[in-house]
Amino acid sequence: MHRLRPAVFLTAAAILLLAAADERGHAAAPAIDPAVPAGKPLSERVVAYQIDARLDTRKKTIDAVEVLTYRNLTGQPQDTFPFHLYLNAFQPKSTAAREFQRDDPRFEWKAKYYAAAEVTSFEAVGMGDLTSQMRFLAPDDGNDDDRTVFQIKLPRPVAPGESVPFRIAFHDQLGEVLARTGYKRNFIMAAQWFPKIGVWWQGAWNCHQFHANTEFFADFGTFDVRLTLPQDEIVGASGEEISSVNHADGTKTVSFHGEDIHDFAWTAEPEFRVFTDYFTGSAGMVKIRLLTQSGHVAMAERNIRILKQTMKRFDQWYGPYPYPQITLVDPPHGALEAGGMEYPTLITGGTTWWMPRGWRLLEQVVAHEFGHQYWYGMVATNEFEDAWLDEGINNYVEMKIMDDIFGKDRSDIDLWGLRNSERGEQRRGYLRDADRDPIARFGYQYMDSRSYGDISYYKTATMLLTLEKVIGEDTLRRALRTYFTRFRFTHPGKEDFLKTVEEVSGRNLRWYFDQAVYGAQVLDYEILRAGSQPADWFVKDAPAEKKDGTFYRTSVLVHRKGDFVFPVEVLMKFDNGEEIRERWDGRDRWVRYSYDKKARLISAEIDPEHAVWLDKDFYNNSYTVAPARGARRKLSAYWLACTQFLAQCLAWLV
Amino acid sequence: MAHQTGTLSEGARRVWRHQRVLWWLFAVNLALAAFGTQPVDRAIGRVADHSLYAQRLYQGFDLSAFSELAANPEVALWSKVSSSLLFAVVFLGVALFLTGGILETYRSDRKLATGEFFFACGTFFWRWVRLLVLLLVAIVPIAMLGSVITGWAAVLSDAAPQEKLGFWVEVAGLLLVTVLMMAVRLWFDMAQVRVVAEEERSVVRALVRAFRLTRDHFGSLFWMYIRISFLAWLGLAAALFLWIRVPAQRLGFSFFVLEMALLWWMGTRLWQRASETVWYERHSAAPQMMTPLPAPETFLSSVTAASPESGM
Repeated sequence: MHRLRPAVFLTAAAILLLAAADERGHAAAPAIDPAVPAGKPLSERVVAYQIDARLDTRKKTIDAVEVLTYRNLTGQPQDTFPFHLYLNAFQPKSTAAREFQRDDPRFEWKAKYYAAAEVTSFEAVGMGDLTSQMRFLAPDDGNDDDRTVFQIKLPRPVAPGESVPFRIAFHDQLGEVLARTGYKRNFIMAAQWFPKIGVWWQGAWNCHQFHANTEFFADFGTFDVRLTLPQDEIVGASGEEISSVNHADGTKTVSFHGEDIHDFAWTAEPEFRVFTDYFTGSAGMVKIRLLTQSGHVAMAERNIRILKQTMKRFDQWYGPYPYPQITLVDPPHGALEAGGMEYPTLITGGTTWWMPRGWRLLEQVVAHEFGHQYWYGMVATNEFEDAWLDEGINNYVEMKIMDDIFGKDRSDIDLWGLRNSERGEQRRGYLRDADRDPIARFGYQYMDSRSYGDISYYKTATMLLTLEKVIGEDTLRRALRTYFTRFRFTHPGKEDFLKTVEEVSGRNLRWYFDQAVYGAQVLDYEILRAGSQPADWFVKDAPAEKKDGTFYRTSVLVHRKGDFVFPVEVLMKFDNGEEIRERWDGRDRWVRYSYDKKARLISAEIDPEHAVWLDKDFYNNSYTVAPARGARRKLSAYWLACTQFLAQCLAWLV
Repeated sequence: MAHQTGTLSEGARRVWRHQRVLWWLFAVNLALAAFGTQPVDRAIGRVADHSLYAQRLYQGFDLSAFSELAANPEVALWSKVSSSLLFAVVFLGVALFLTGGILETYRSDRKLATGEFFFACGTFFWRWVRLLVLLLVAIVPIAMLGSVITGWAAVLSDAAPQEKLGFWVEVAGLLLVTVLMMAVRLWFDMAQVRVVAEEERSVVRALVRAFRLTRDHFGSLFWMYIRISFLAWLGLAAALFLWIRVPAQRLGFSFFVLEMALLWWMGTRLWQRASETVWYERHSAAPQMMTPLPAPETFLSSVTAASPESGM
């Protein structure tokens, strides 16, 4: 059991409080409650799970008994309780399977993917056996074949403030890893493996089916999990290991305890190589436990280094990581679908035996998945309905961290002369599906999987990057810190985040959020025409033009090509060295700027600082009067050489 | 071994002495590629010529800027590949036509008059077409083998306990397929050499005899062939090594390095053809045609009725 050291937490909170008292004239962020008295839980613990599970490594099954104590904090009597049985998603008629196939017609169902969670008995302690009362629901799409949500109606309601223990015996059949959970050879990743109660949220039960594109949502509480499995298995799990007891039959029982978390995942493999390190943050020392593959031992240092670098920045920028441990799991080859995933206090990375240092995929994944400990783990948003609140915010923060560590222009790739930035990569993803879905759409209602990823991850990150232009990078960081400290260990919604940003910035940002978050408008401004003509153009036989001698009339026409209205700056440069910067509110469809001076226009550029990352086309943001053909010549030369090479290779057939 | 060394040197000497073959072929290659590049050049120009953002491609190479340009609907870069492919196929046809003249040049080791050169091109053209068809047939089983190995490697990469097993199977498979392809190419090269040297009309007969020749002397022939191939790849790698270090704005020098690499690549292929011709002269038991093909006007005037070429 670990508690935050109050003195350390007070100091950290004081620093946060001072930082929140803005010196720049914006409205000060509301005071953050600094102290968590010793012994007080970090969250409102709605659930307490006690699970005794036995793993059969040969059959890939788990037999378990779960005692779930649910505290009715809904404020109303409750007699109906929904539960998730996520493992049943891995069946051919499930909603998730339908969606996999819908989004990728090449998707082929194989028997090895089959998984199931079967509740063999369900009892509400004190109310008898209710197994026969289980009813499967399909609240999202009405698919009667989907078995990922069931509901129980109790014979009598649970009064507000009372608790009800459910005793659930269940049998899991794991399938080969298809998405996040399952096995591969000797590797086990047990995620979403136990019956999990839904969340009473915003006045109603929130318990969605398992979808191809969405993740999870659950209440905070405690987990006490005892896993019985062969002694040669190396185990990693959420929370902390409390004890490990060997038995005469060759098995062992490993006990884990986690507090103020809302999910519990675990992994086991005899071949894991274990590395331990420590990070000291503002909340004290955190144990880092890396479980990696023998062929990836060379990457262990990279994994731990990026994890510590990320933890340090999160601690400084947003707040402390309050848990005693973080476990990082590196899945084996063939099981990378279990990688790149987050669970409270356990994350999965993923690498291959060959990953050169300039290819930063390993670092990106670890930084991203650790970030989820904050956006999802502690700020526990509804990943079904507000996927962008964790994935998108996390993508933005991951980008800032990678930029801070590696440099803005090479935070994605820096290999063999090739460089790319994370922000460029995020924007590329957004551009692919810029006009498909609004960010605020429910995750399982996006057009398809690609749109879900491009919009909730990449567009959100690009949207926040553009928001820096509106309110400033420092203000946005303060807003995120306020959002984190205010809403950690709760279930905020989208308006909680948006209002926090407005509050911290002291600005009304509805005009921006209505378009960028709730709408699918596309932002695109262009220089439609620009140039200078002699003022006496109508005079026949006019004197020859003279630099600094001839009067020119310059005209710059700026056009709003997209339907997203955004104020823009336009920078005009003249050949006498003069620069003129205009600011346009961007509301009308076009605006014309005219100048009479003894100078010719050289160039006109919208957003000269390149801060409006949501702009769909950076190429039409500027116009140079004189053509600059360097880029064209370069690319054409490369294309020419490639065509020659292709022709010569084809001629090898002769 | 001295002979083989002499073969490569002699082959190189013939390529050097008749270097106008190389220059002309390279010029055609460059000209056709330039035509194939026109649509790309125009499309890029429409978007990039007046854009400050395009400087990121000129002053360095911003991958994001390139990606955005390629995806721009006015550019649609990848849709232009078909245009380049078309001109590459045209070059294939040109190379097919010119091969007869090239091989005759190396065989006779003298400067052919323009008429002689193109007469030789025309004389052997349809035999090369038939050989090309047969080559494609011969490649099919190798391609199928490559596909099977690739599929197996993919399964191993996923399922085998050793992570690198799939990779090594892929590498071994690639090497095997490369060797087989080179062996088949060598066989067909020797068939072409024989067709020119012996004025062989039947490509099947030429192939059969070339197969026996290649089989019986596979070691020396393949060693000769692969050394030149190795030098070709080495030269290409050296050029690329230099090219990525050329400052971004030195377009002229960058283009020059690329063209030299392509010239080297083409030159080594001609070196292989010339060396094979030399090898055949020195090792073939059949009497060589020591006299060149007659000049077109002499030939035509001496033939009162041209007999159609015999088929396969």
